[in-house]
Amino acid sequence: MEHIIQVKSLAKIYGNQAALEDVNFTVEKGKTFGFLGPSGAGKTTTIKILTGQLLQTSGEATVFGKPASSLNKPQYRREFGVITDNSGLYSRLSIEDNLNLYCQLYQVSTKRIGEVLEMVSLSEERKKQVAKLSKGMFQRVILARALLHKPALLFLDEPTSALDPANSALIHQGLRELNKEGTTIFLTTHDMNEAENICDRVAFLHQGRIQLLDQPKKLRRQFAEASVCIELKDGREINVPAGPEGAKDIYDYFASDQVVSIHSNEPTLGDIFVELTGRKLV
Amino acid sequence: MTFSMKRMYAIFLKDLKDLSKNMFITSSMLMPLLIAVLYSRMDELSIDMIYLVINLSFSTIGVFVQSAIIAEEKEKNTLRGLMLSPATILEIFGGKSLVTFLLTLLTIILSARLIDYEPSSISLIAIALIISSVFYIGLGTLMGLLTKSVVEASVITLPIIFLFGFSTLLQTLINTYPILSFIEYLPNVQLAELAKEVQLGAGIEDIWGYLAIILVWGIGIWLLTTWFYKKKETAG
Repeated sequence: MEHIIQVKSLAKIYGNQAALEDVNFTVEKGKTFGFLGPSGAGKTTTIKILTGQLLQTSGEATVFGKPASSLNKPQYRREFGVITDNSGLYSRLSIEDNLNLYCQLYQVSTKRIGEVLEMVSLSEERKKQVAKLSKGMFQRVILARALLHKPALLFLDEPTSALDPANSALIHQGLRELNKEGTTIFLTTHDMNEAENICDRVAFLHQGRIQLLDQPKKLRRQFAEASVCIELKDGREINVPAGPEGAKDIYDYFASDQVVSIHSNEPTLGDIFVELTGRKLV
Repeated sequence: MTFSMKRMYAIFLKDLKDLSKNMFITSSMLMPLLIAVLYSRMDELSIDMIYLVINLSFSTIGVFVQSAIIAEEKEKNTLRGLMLSPATILEIFGGKSLVTFLLTLLTIILSARLIDYEPSSISLIAIALIISSVFYIGLGTLMGLLTKSVVEASVITLPIIFLFGFSTLLQTLINTYPILSFIEYLPNVQLAELAKEVQLGAGIEDIWGYLAIILVWGIGIWLLTTWFYKKKETAG
């Protein structure tokens, strides 16, 4: 499998403060990689290093097989896109004018504006002034702008942090479609649902170090309690061992028609993070 | 990647459209024109007074407007978007400076008409004005990069407007305070001195020294601006 991003022993130190320490991971081509952690964990620092906006103190970071620092050069910027929660647009201009500028900068046809606006469900708002957009619409325009040049790699830094669930769902839908078309996505977030919904693999970052890295499903299984929870009609919730030793109890509850629901005791990614670090993902 | 005229023109067109809707910026262009109207009522204007109006146009448009344009890009996080696009530093600042350059020259031409200034050699004065605008727009760009918001840029550029707008008047103080003799080498003073020579019939061979000093200021300020921009590119 081809690795679009490779990071080895990456460290970034500001003064005496280590923002990143011995960070190692790879991102496979065409996959969505989630970088999870609370504010100040080092997520944005990592994106800035990977996009050539910041130089690391030590270690290696390669993107498309080239040192990440070379992405700072204009000729490589066509290959990736970056979206942050504070990306800006020209507020006095219309959505179309904003996208038109970036069509010229990336030298893509202005026909693409219609396509990307359709992807983010903003075709009807094309002529609307950016200053009059809601936060959700604004962020969808930012996404549309990043998609104009069909980047091979898209970096998203907390793209839905200030959005309501409906707008977040629209962004997620757009990202899934993009991923299907082959774009590799590097996403930082502290929203566990977002990570579970769209990421193929996730890394937990805490105090500048990766604590855990795997597929969300595997992580949940790894941290799952070996039991199932049975909700009974009398309102009780019973935990029963998930192995052969619990089989008879489960059969008995079903046979006596007492069961309302039954589910495995898998933790959420948020639960796993709290268990690992002792702090919540906010 | 080679220089793209198309990208520079796109940035220029965007700024032109954006500025036409920005009252804060467009109203600031009126200041040098108002002073020109006031001066036009005086019987006879010396070159120093004429160039006070012209240098004020450079300071308010070239420095203030340019710094406000750049500072607003920073304030609204749109400059980072340009920096992460395939546009080169030359295309970004070329496009952003072109609007200011045209506005500056337009204001100077209007001001000159209002005060009935007719240089003995239009071509020599035009060369001097174009070289001067390179310096002032570079200074405005640097001020914009150094500040975080339009308000901050407005405050920081005030002393600069004063220094480069009115320092021809401060020349009278040099005899009393020799420490101020550096004023003679400021680009605005050099421009006024050059204009005096041209008005007395001087040719290019007589004024190249003034042009060279203004050019050195221009190159110096753009080198500093480029260095600062490059530093920002990898400063996160």
